[in-house]
This record gives sequence, structure tokens and C-alpha cells, in this order.
Amino acid sequence: MLELFLVEFWRNLLSLRRYPMELLGGVVTLSLIFYLLFLGARFLAGPGAEFGGRLEAVLVGYLLWTFTLFAYNSLSFGLMEESQTGTLEQVFLTPYGPIPLFLVRNLAGLFTQGILVFLIALVLMALTGARLSFAPLVVLPFLAVLLGGYGLGFAMGALALLYKRIGQLLGLSQFLLLFLLQAPGGFPFSLLPLAPGAALARGMLAEGAPLEAKALLLAFLNGLLYLALGLFLFRKAVGRAKRLGLLHGY
Amino acid sequence: MENALLEAHGLHKRFGALEAVRNVSLSLRPGEVLAFLGKNGAGKTTTVKILSSLLLPDRGEVRLLGKDPFKDPWALRHLGAVLEGNRNVYWRLTPLENLVYFGVARGLCLASARKRALALLEEYGLLEKAQVEVRHLSRGMQQKLALLQALIHDPEVLLLDEPTLGLDVETALLVQEKVRALARAGKALLLTTHQLEVAEALADRVAIIHRGEVVLVEDKERLLARFAGNHYVLELESSPPPAVLARLRALGVEGEGPFLFRGDGEALWQVLEALRPLPLRRVARAEADLLEVFLKVVGHA
Repeated sequence: MLELFLVEFWRNLLSLRRYPMELLGGVVTLSLIFYLLFLGARFLAGPGAEFGGRLEAVLVGYLLWTFTLFAYNSLSFGLMEESQTGTLEQVFLTPYGPIPLFLVRNLAGLFTQGILVFLIALVLMALTGARLSFAPLVVLPFLAVLLGGYGLGFAMGALALLYKRIGQLLGLSQFLLLFLLQAPGGFPFSLLPLAPGAALARGMLAEGAPLEAKALLLAFLNGLLYLALGLFLFRKAVGRAKRLGLLHGY
Repeated sequence: MENALLEAHGLHKRFGALEAVRNVSLSLRPGEVLAFLGKNGAGKTTTVKILSSLLLPDRGEVRLLGKDPFKDPWALRHLGAVLEGNRNVYWRLTPLENLVYFGVARGLCLASARKRALALLEEYGLLEKAQVEVRHLSRGMQQKLALLQALIHDPEVLLLDEPTLGLDVETALLVQEKVRALARAGKALLLTTHQLEVAEALADRVAIIHRGEVVLVEDKERLLARFAGNHYVLELESSPPPAVLARLRALGVEGEGPFLFRGDGEALWQVLEALRPLPLRRVARAEADLLEVFLKVVGHA
């Protein structure tokens, strides 16, 4: 399995090296979206407005959203592309089985997605003047959010496998992620995917709240639950796709 | 059947109202090439997809080296496939990168995958294109690479769906030679193709599927002999005199040279006696080809 991870990681690096404009396009687009929102907010607040620490919190929230977005839609876009280009069936011939392979793919993709988010952070810090310096422990609730993000990604991957053209749905539903990442952490919102981890990270960044073990546990339980649910749905979709002969093309 | 590497029993598959595959049973033994023939829509690709565990049958079972690939995916370690209508490889990667990737994805370690990839690229004349992105390669090279992708993990069973389609003559001959070499090395190969001359050149056994049912499975040589029947072709150095021709006609010889005689070997001696002492150019048993067999079987099925 380590070899599989390494080869997937290598494939990601090759793509990054060979097609740097795709990375650059992602950085420019996602930076521009935030910067335009930032300019809009500054215009509404008036010329003398000071955002203080809230700008950093909003920026971190945005970066978390972009990271979650990749976790959410990379599997589906990958499946759609592979089914269109005719490599999906060969991928399904792996003796590791499709689910372990796609899990490893997601994990290997984290690094390149991390580079993308890091570059966006640099660009936005330069443009907005925000300074990010957050406690390393914030990584833990981030991880919990990512687990849930991958869970939702597998659920969408299930749809991509069965219905292929779900680009529109993915595009629209990514704004749902914004709501989930901004939802309050308390009950009943803590039952929603991503919400408890995101609320915990937000509290730590915006209010300087300490990392609460109970809240972190809840965030991880939530992330694992949605990951398990996503994997379950994906597994069902693989079975259905194999029954109906949907692995090949559009 | 005892030592078959791939076995399928009683496969059924229905898509809505269409019964794509009905009660299909096949087996592949080590060292043999089975040509799996059928018209478009006869059920060839559906069967290949079931055999490679990409399509779940409604009924029936598949055993790959005794294991059920639907329940035990690790059984797929023993299978390689070139699937028709697929690219089979990543166009944004080079041949070497594709082979290393698929080698590891099929269970090899990185070092072995790279070593085997280089050896295969050299063997198939692709080494100098090893670092060129696949999208820049010719169709023939892409098709060869698709075959190498199926071979990278050295599987015992190969399912090749139209492996020579669209290849130039030279590459097609190379692929045919490699298929023979793979069979000699003990691999079991299932070959589906519409190019019946390719099937005839390579196959040890022939299976014909028609409207979802396997209507014939037979050893190729026996099949061709059976369809040729007891027919002989005779050629003379010069036209026979009218008296000889009359004797030949009386014995049932047809044609104007070459002559055709429908009868067994014993009756043939009477024809040869009638021809004595005219010089003969050729006496041979008439041969059927796979195209003729295919058309007859599919026509009567």
C-alpha cells in the first residue's frame, strides 16, 4: 500500500511539473474570488474600516474552504475525467480494489492541494495585508474537517460513478460547504458534516480559544462518521455500476 | 478444464429487455489462445467485461486461478486486459510513467515495475519513445502500449479485445508474433477480434458467440477440418484429353482445372487411376477458412 501511495504521489508531482498552468490558474481564480469579496466588504464598511483579527479568521476560514473543496470534488472530477478518457476500467482492475486505491489517491493529493492552498495564502496575505500566525494545534480540527470533506467527496463520487455528468451539481453544492464551515458548533449543528471541526478551528483562530479535547473528539467522530458514510455510499455505487455496466464512458 | 486458469460457468447478463449473454461457459488453459468471435452486439465485450470482473453477471460464476475476482480482488493480480474502445493508458503520462504506475497499481513494487517497464519497452520497440507523452505517440504505439500495460505485472491470463485493430501491417504482425510468444510461455489468452485472418493465425481454439449464446467451442484445426470435409483439389500440368475428362465427370469430379472432388481418400485413388499417366501439379485436401466457418455457424445459428 505504501508503494501505491508513492506512485500516486509521484503521478501528482508529474502532473504538477508538466502542467503548472493548471496550478497557477487555480491560485489566480481562488485568490481573486477572495480578494473581490474582501474589496466588496471594505467598500461596504467604508474607507476607514479596520478588520482587525477578524480578517485573519475569515481568511483562514476561506483557506479551509478551498482545502475542503478539493477534498470534496477531486474524486468526482477524477472519475468523470477517467470515465471520459477511457482509463477508469483499467483503474478498476487493480487488485487493491477501487476504494483503497481512491483513498490512497486522496491522501497523495493532499500534498499538491496543500501547495495550492499555501500559494493562495501567500497571495492573499500580500493583497490584503493579513498576517497569519496560528497555533499548530489548529491542524487537528482541520484534519477532522478534511475527513468529513473526503466523506462528502466519496458520496459525490458515488453520484459521479453512476450519473457521470455531475459538474453542475458539484459547482452549486460547493457553496453548501461554505454554510457547513460557517455553521455554529453547538447542537444540532454539530450533527452536520464538517461543522464541529470548523467551529472549533474558527474559535481557536478568531477568539484565541484553547483546543478543547472534548470538542476535538466530537469533531473527529463527526469526520469519521461522514467518511464512513461516504465510503458506504461509494461502495454501493461501485456495486451498482458493476451491475449496470456503467464503468465505461458516458 | 482441470487446469484451466480462467473458467466461467453459466454466465447470464440482461440489460433491460436485452439478454446480452445467455448461459455462457468458457475456459482458458495455460499456453492456449482462444479466439472469441461474434458479430457486433453478439455479447463478446459483455463477456470480456464479466470475465475481468468489471461487470457483475446476473447468474453464473467466474474463477481466476480458482478464485472469484468479484469477492477476492487480489485474484486480478493474475489478469491483464486490453479493453476495446478504451484508451487504457493515461495520455498525459509517458509510456514509462504509465507502465510504472499501472505496474504498482497491479501489485508490483516501484523498483520491479520500473525494471519490467524498461524491459517491455525495449522488447516492443518503444524504448526511444519512453519519455514522450502518450498523446504525442502514433495510434499504433498507443495500441502497443495498451498491450504492455496489460503485461506489466506478468499476469497468467490475458483478455485482449481487438488488440490489432487500427494497427499498421508491421505492428499488427509484431503483436501477432508476441501473442504467439506469450502463449508459448504458458499464458492463457482470450482474443476477441473481427479480423478473422488474425484469429485463424493465432488461435488454438475457437469459440463463436451469437445473440448472447456460445454456439460453438472447438479446437481450431478440428473445426477447419470438419468444415473442409472430404474434398480434394486437383491440378494438372495441362488440360486432360476429352476421354479422361469424361471419366473424371463419371467419377463426380467438378470444375475445369483446378478440379474439385468430393469424396473420401479411397475414392480419390479411382480419380488418380483415371488420370494416370497425365502429369499432376497438385493434389491437396480442400481447406476451409475461419471466415467460411464463421459465416456458416452464424448463418445457421
